[in-house]
Amino acid sequence: MIPLILAGLGAAFVLIGTLGILRLRDVYSRLQASGVSDTAGTGLILIGLVVWKGWQPHDATLLLLLVLLLFTNPIATHSIAKSAFTRGHRGEPE
Amino acid sequence: MTIVEGILLLSLAAILWRLLAGPTPWDRLLAYNSASNRVVAVLAIAAVTAGRSVVLDVAVVYVALSFLGIVVLARFMERGGVNR
Repeated sequence: MIPLILAGLGAAFVLIGTLGILRLRDVYSRLQASGVSDTAGTGLILIGLVVWKGWQPHDATLLLLLVLLLFTNPIATHSIAKSAFTRGHRGEPE
Repeated sequence: MTIVEGILLLSLAAILWRLLAGPTPWDRLLAYNSASNRVVAVLAIAAVTAGRSVVLDVAVVYVALSFLGIVVLARFMERGGVNR
């Protein structure tokens, strides 16, 4: 039951992030939507997969994948935002 | 878990629209980042559901390569293309 709740929560985060990417108005808002909710959603889905069916040998690989995503995803988001800002791209005014 | 996988695939299809129609190149890079995250989640769910742990190694390599590609492309666009 708990793995399904965790994975469902992760899927909800992913859906909210998709909505944000499709509907928000400039690059920085979309980066805000995608960076935060993708890390949370994918992390929750991976934690749900780890606790599913008890301890198995491939859970170590899943934890490695989780740590790798937690490190790389904010760095990639920051890199895209820094690239856009350095090239002089400004967001839409309110 | 199958429902979660279906939600992820639908979300991936919706992200591909931003990848094709993004107004700026950074929108496309952002959509590529999000799409690779969803692909990794789908790979992990498929691996655990089918009991094939080889697919998890594929997912680890996919994360590393997509991170490298995104950072290199962002640096490339930051420096202004091939002319600098």
